[in-house]
Amino acid sequence: MPDIAIAFALLSDPWIVSWIVFGTLGGVVVGALPGLSSSMAVALLLPFSLYLEPIPAMALLSALYCAGTFGGSITAILINAPGAPPAAATAFDGYPMAVTGQAGRALGIAAVASSCGGIFSVVVLVVAAPLLASVAYGFGPPEYFALALFGLSMLSAIGGSSPLKNLIGGWLGLLIATIGIDLTTGVERFTFGVAELYDGVDFVPVLIGLFAITEALNQAGKLAAPLETIRLSATRLPTLDDFKRVRATILRSSVIGTFIGILPAEGSTMAAMVGYNEAKRWSKEPERFGHGAIEGVAGPEAANNAATGGAMVPTLALGIPGSATAAVIMGGLQVHGLRPGPFLFEEQPTLLYAIFLSMLVANVLFLFVGLAGAKVFARISLVPKALLWPTVFVLSVIGAYGVNGSMVDVWIMLLAGLVGFVLKRNGFGPAPIIMGIVLGGLVERSLAQSMILFDQRWTGFLGRPVALGFFALALVSLAAPLLRRTRG
Amino acid sequence: MRPNQVAGLALLALAAVGYYLTTTFPAVPEMLSQNVPPTFFPRLVLGALALSALALLVPARGEPARPDPIRAEILVTAALLVVFVWLMPRFGMLATASLVAIVLPIYWGERRKLVVGGLAVGLPLALYLIFVLALGMRLPRGYGW
Repeated sequence: MPDIAIAFALLSDPWIVSWIVFGTLGGVVVGALPGLSSSMAVALLLPFSLYLEPIPAMALLSALYCAGTFGGSITAILINAPGAPPAAATAFDGYPMAVTGQAGRALGIAAVASSCGGIFSVVVLVVAAPLLASVAYGFGPPEYFALALFGLSMLSAIGGSSPLKNLIGGWLGLLIATIGIDLTTGVERFTFGVAELYDGVDFVPVLIGLFAITEALNQAGKLAAPLETIRLSATRLPTLDDFKRVRATILRSSVIGTFIGILPAEGSTMAAMVGYNEAKRWSKEPERFGHGAIEGVAGPEAANNAATGGAMVPTLALGIPGSATAAVIMGGLQVHGLRPGPFLFEEQPTLLYAIFLSMLVANVLFLFVGLAGAKVFARISLVPKALLWPTVFVLSVIGAYGVNGSMVDVWIMLLAGLVGFVLKRNGFGPAPIIMGIVLGGLVERSLAQSMILFDQRWTGFLGRPVALGFFALALVSLAAPLLRRTRG
Repeated sequence: MRPNQVAGLALLALAAVGYYLTTTFPAVPEMLSQNVPPTFFPRLVLGALALSALALLVPARGEPARPDPIRAEILVTAALLVVFVWLMPRFGMLATASLVAIVLPIYWGERRKLVVGGLAVGLPLALYLIFVLALGMRLPRGYGW
């Protein structure tokens, strides 16, 4: 029986379907809650997914990723508070539409555009990931080192305010990944005699801390901030003419979003911004943007959801995360004892198809959930912070504790959260640090193997054209921010 | 001093401390390390970190303004989180969760007693049902249990 048929059969199992539905509903709710992102939700659920078999666990996390990205648009449109960063661009035109009584129209377009973008990217994922994996079969340690370096260099091209700070975040992540016993020599590194650190810092507590605790502290500083709300009576849904008007925007943004998602480290937020800018650039009436242009909702929404499938291409095929959330999902594969990368296609084809299909189902499911339940989800977003964040804190503690049953992990989570808060105030985001931690093992291992292979001569890389190609790409992505600044 | 200068100096100090710590790693015979000693990669990363930190010291256009002082609510919340984590192995995770559900909402401004009470009872109960009963997790139970 072909693997895809087995995956289809698995997905007709009510147990697995229920986890996909739970992931989709949970993702929309989490995405709709301001401050809670899909990265944080996947990080929080990751320790609990250990209690599931790999297929339902990965189906749950993948569905959560897709639906969470869409969920952010609901509050961006209805209360001008993007539930997650990828939905920030949606608020530019979504909220003005809602204010002028077109909330239903904006939500409908957002749901359809998100769904189309997501489905398009999953189709690309199904085709591109195995092809990319088949190319990567021939990679040795030098190629993997160069590829991982390219992935890290892309941190400097992330659309944040400071490429240098993103890069520093990546170095900090790599440094954290060196903690523990060196596998080649058995030497303890940076463990300070703490036995729980001998196996290294478990990245799950770190990422829960960086995402959840950092945000909880951030929210503590915004207790007095008023929330703008509008009446939710405007439920006129989009017309066929509306869909005709935005179909080209959706298609263009789907392609843009998928491409940006495939680039290592580049995630939904950048895709949404580019999707919005391109929608405006191609529009015959760009002056309407910012005042309630329907293309201004369709563009970023199709792009940010397309980036989810795109980001999974390098994650699954190469073991190089395509975004922060994909890095967390990659960590999920690792804690389930699986090896992300080309060999996954040989070792676990059924699991991969189950991930593809779960993402497909989630993208279809949230279309209906989004259209039918937008009002309900918008109300969930009004849960008082004073009740939401203490609950998130307790779940974070249990999530960190649950990995190894150790309070040391809880302290690591808290420390990561406190440090993450200080770093965030100074312009260092959590995503590059996570990327560094996740890639740390691969970078060090492949570099050490390469140096042994080349008998300690760095010039050995000159004889590896694929590695040289990745080094060249890394140089280009490092130079890109400088070039942008020069042109600007 | 500019915020980026402070950050750059702090990172340089971190790199220096990190480098010093690598000098305390025990020496390993070349045969065992295959010429890739355990200090090799950490030092490479620390070098990259130090170089990047130096670049941060150079004034650039569009640097962020000095952030506002950290609000008292944030500091108190952070301190409360530390206290809660310290209490967990002593009081037990469920009892501490109940305490979190009372203290944090009240500190964050929630004044509805019924809501706070509901969370204080409902949160540990939900945790018990989901994580202890359904998932079979063993949570810290505290002294005397």
